[in-house]
Amino acid sequence: MSFISLMGALEIGLIFALVALGVLISFRILNFPDLTADGSFPLGGAVAATLISGGHDPWLSCAIAAVAGAMSGWVTAWLNVRLNILQLLASILVMIALYSINLRIMGAPNVPLLGEATVFTPFIGEGGDSAYWIQPMVLVAVVIAVKLGLDAFFASQSGLALRATGANPRMARAQGISTNRYTLAGMALSNALIALGGALYVQTQGGADISMGVGTIVIGLAAVIIGETLIPSRNLWIITLATVLGAILYRLFIALALTADFIGLQAQDLNLITAVLVGFALVLPMLKAKLRRASGAK
Amino acid sequence: MMHAQGLTKTFNPGTPIENRALRGLDLHIETGQFVTVIGSNGAGKSTFLNAISGDLLVDSGSIHIDSQDVTRLNAWQRAGLVARVFQDPMAGTCEGLTIEENLALAWQRGEKRGFGRAVRPELRDMFREKLARLKLGLENRLSDRMGLLSGGQRQAVSLLMASLKPSRILLLDEHTAALDPKTAGFVLELTDQIVAEQKLTALMVTHSMRQALDHGERTIMLHQGRVVLDVAGSERANMDVPDLLAMFERTRGEAVSDDALLLG
Amino acid sequence: MNTVSRRLVLNTLAAGVLAAMTSFAQAQDMKLVSVTAIVDHPALDSARKGIEDELKALGFEAGKTMKYQYQSAQGNPATAGQIAKKFVGDKSDVIVAIATPSAQAAAASTKTIPVVFTAVTDPVAAKLAKDWKPSGTNITGVSDKLTLASQVDLILKVKPNAKNVGMVYSPGEVNSVSVAKELKAELQKRGLQLVEAAAPRTVDVAPAAKSLIGKVDVIYTSTDNNVVSTYESLVRVASDAKIPLVAADTDSVKRGASAALGMNYYDMGRQTGRIVARILKGEAPGSIAPQLGDKVSLTVNPEAAKKQGNPLPDALLKEAKEVIK
Repeated sequence: MSFISLMGALEIGLIFALVALGVLISFRILNFPDLTADGSFPLGGAVAATLISGGHDPWLSCAIAAVAGAMSGWVTAWLNVRLNILQLLASILVMIALYSINLRIMGAPNVPLLGEATVFTPFIGEGGDSAYWIQPMVLVAVVIAVKLGLDAFFASQSGLALRATGANPRMARAQGISTNRYTLAGMALSNALIALGGALYVQTQGGADISMGVGTIVIGLAAVIIGETLIPSRNLWIITLATVLGAILYRLFIALALTADFIGLQAQDLNLITAVLVGFALVLPMLKAKLRRASGAK
Repeated sequence: MMHAQGLTKTFNPGTPIENRALRGLDLHIETGQFVTVIGSNGAGKSTFLNAISGDLLVDSGSIHIDSQDVTRLNAWQRAGLVARVFQDPMAGTCEGLTIEENLALAWQRGEKRGFGRAVRPELRDMFREKLARLKLGLENRLSDRMGLLSGGQRQAVSLLMASLKPSRILLLDEHTAALDPKTAGFVLELTDQIVAEQKLTALMVTHSMRQALDHGERTIMLHQGRVVLDVAGSERANMDVPDLLAMFERTRGEAVSDDALLLG
Repeated sequence: MNTVSRRLVLNTLAAGVLAAMTSFAQAQDMKLVSVTAIVDHPALDSARKGIEDELKALGFEAGKTMKYQYQSAQGNPATAGQIAKKFVGDKSDVIVAIATPSAQAAAASTKTIPVVFTAVTDPVAAKLAKDWKPSGTNITGVSDKLTLASQVDLILKVKPNAKNVGMVYSPGEVNSVSVAKELKAELQKRGLQLVEAAAPRTVDVAPAAKSLIGKVDVIYTSTDNNVVSTYESLVRVASDAKIPLVAADTDSVKRGASAALGMNYYDMGRQTGRIVARILKGEAPGSIAPQLGDKVSLTVNPEAAKKQGNPLPDALLKEAKEVIK
């Protein structure tokens, strides 16, 4: 694998780390199975691409994209807590609606950003040759900032209330926590992060395409599960770190799978190879435990 | 002080499984009074407690806590006034959170939660101090997950959590029913201590007539969604379980057939 | 943290081994042509075959006089991005990107390595090229844009008294959306109506076609990747409902359209291959203006037309460059 390939995997991995952190909040912390991501990720991308190609400041565009994502998460939660629609169904409804909304926002199925000023532009020198490693570095800074922010939030009184809402809603209510309000806020936060990922994604990919959302939730969940399988912990700050690493690892596996042609595998086998690599990674801890037990029993 | 008047609650009205759990229940509890509640299954004990805590809203009637009308408020809105210990040790605490995190949650009961750290060093010291009183060694295990504790330990901590912040009424919902006799005894003793120290107004539901008479200063019996018995003072002090039974039969004209109630 | 460090070591070792093996494979000093498509389907695959055949004819044979690799993004734009990065990291001499999302990903990954796009209908709207003149950048390619006036001529030749023309397309493909808009305008000029049926996913194509039954006299489709990849389902609906199908590429006629005035993707591939060869021989991509596919031909399928209840007029059969048996 070339260094550029590695940086490419890191770059996309960091973007999906934001998505994975959002999925962590909804699926694991709030216990809310949420599929909105397949709609909120492209929502962030659509809003950011439309604003940036309209000449607006890229950072501001990212912020507005995150707010848009927050609103979509809020709607999903609202359908569940106020109208009593099953969590999964509520999220599917919003995800489907967002397809049309995103098309409306973009005005076309594809909004190119080639040649536009992005959040990375100030850091990249003339000629743009260094973009391949500068972009990941900027993203590292963003992801670290987000991760630390989340860690601080979860350690706060509000963050603890959010965690209680997901862990034991009845007990949370008995402690004076409005679980409805915290569910709405938590889902908003989750999808704000996912949309932020989408906003940064379109700036690295050269444009927003309406198909970019397909499979987002799968990648996010894969990242969370890879993370918690490889670095099991109950400590929230380790869990967020594991989630970030899980996302990067997943994209690294895909980059590895792309280089598999030397053993006679072809382009069509990409998904299969990725699945095998990820499956192996998930099984590895169990295999190690078995080996340890076997050697201990001797 | 807690004042409940004319409470009615029917589950699944108009269906074959209709259940008229509360049928015009009246009860007045003075501030600082410790009341025990007994009744056979289906008498409406849990429903009554859920109505006071706000976990369910009554069909008609009113509930006042310290002259504040809380009838239409939901559980989290009443939490500042009402503290509760559930029967199931799992239900009252968050298994995945640590002991200090659970205590921190209880510490903020009824208060606004901001973005400051939930578990600050001063709080931790205070938690350690209070946990030491339980004499369970938990003061050294603040960062342990709640799930690692035994049922009895969790109930003890739940009790502590319920008394961290002042409450207008403490609801104890058969909180020793899931424990073995020795641990149950320990938790009941703790209950008496805490209620006496903080001069709490308390309502304890129990399945055991023995417990009902041994703790608190007033005992009421619920039957078919109403209060049918109410003894306190010297009358109660001279009573024993058979006397209580006889009183019940006289009032309702029927024998008590609930084994658990008799044997408890 | 034992698991973390162990995992990191294992991963680094694996990456190292793989890197060593792939770099060994590229030890010789041959030009590297890297090709990628956003998704696999017959038309895009023909384009790729055309590229490979043209390069071979001009002396660049994969494995012998040229290094060659192909990766498909399996429909996933994020994967397209990683493929582009890989190609750049492999120090490709030319990157060929088939279809708009892959082309944009390639363009975003390098400003120096030559990128040749193909099967992109509107490179200007996709910001791959500023205009149709030599760009001066590292990007050039072949577009499959068709003049709609001749498309409407064909529609009227196939179904002379058509009043309503239906179009099944994916609102998620920018090429199709712009074609639909232009087609509507062109039809209105001639007093006809366009009835659109949206099919965002491949499974929506048949239901979309069914929704047009009774409302249209003929169904037209453009080079919509979504529709083209499941053209057979459209053919089935058209045969059952007896509505003639007009396509925009010759491969679709083989699969069951009555007629198409379009580009043969294989020919477009060969045209693209010629550009790639010029670049490999030293020409700068920025000096080669983006081209329109130069082989537009009429293909007809009389059998299919009969099944669709609309036998083709003899004049049309005579005009055709290719008649499918």
